[in-house]
Amino acid sequence: MTEATAQQITITRVYDAPRELVWKAWTEPERIAQWWGKRGWSTPVSSVTLDVRPGGAFRLNSISDADGSELPLDAVYREVVEPERLSFGPPAHGGDDERTGATVTFTDLGDGRTEMTFQSTIHASDALCARAEGGLASAFERLAEQLA
Amino acid sequence: MTSAVAVDQLSTTFAALADPTRRAILAQLAEGEATVNQLAEPFPITLQAVSKHLKVLERAGLIARGRSAQLRPSRLEGEALKEAADWLGEYRGFWEEGFDRLGDHLRATREGPRG
Repeated sequence: MTEATAQQITITRVYDAPRELVWKAWTEPERIAQWWGKRGWSTPVSSVTLDVRPGGAFRLNSISDADGSELPLDAVYREVVEPERLSFGPPAHGGDDERTGATVTFTDLGDGRTEMTFQSTIHASDALCARAEGGLASAFERLAEQLA
Repeated sequence: MTSAVAVDQLSTTFAALADPTRRAILAQLAEGEATVNQLAEPFPITLQAVSKHLKVLERAGLIARGRSAQLRPSRLEGEALKEAADWLGEYRGFWEEGFDRLGDHLRATREGPRG
């Protein structure tokens, strides 16, 4: 199937924190482990790899407090512009996997607050292709499973 | 497994929803059932092209079409659309909840002993 299957979501938040701190929360293992994922899920620092540069690994594993099930993220950074923009997606395996991914933009509002915009494009067929590799897509798939 | 089937179905649904003409057709059907001719009216495309779009929508389970010989009016089928919306909602919810926690984390970091 070559047909486009893109769905996009955008989420915007304003945090009462300086931009550098929000950036650190995304790029330092000890920090990201404290907030990543839904409530009721924990992300051990030992599972976190943040090689924050284009092509570097963005990996972590969240574990459900309730039943121990895992929700891994295995992604690769695509764009790293400290402290403004971070984009990542599933590890490329030669096709056009660049289509699925997410970009987070941090804007300094000048009063100590930071606006964070998260944009994600999802290609459902990529979730199928990437099943074997895990990846960002596997997180999507797990979510689909939870619904099924 | 059912989950693979579910994801496969979602894939078909997303593919069907990716096209602006098909979304416009769905929007029109939200007002009530309509024939191919009625659906083709607002678009500068042929009846065949509209029929093709309807086939894609039907395969995705987004619409159902009447059996009566020629007119075969189309109508919206809510279930597939709901599943796609639910999935996207769940996906969005995953991030929103994480970003709430990020807010908590940032507050704790600012108020914490190390400032």
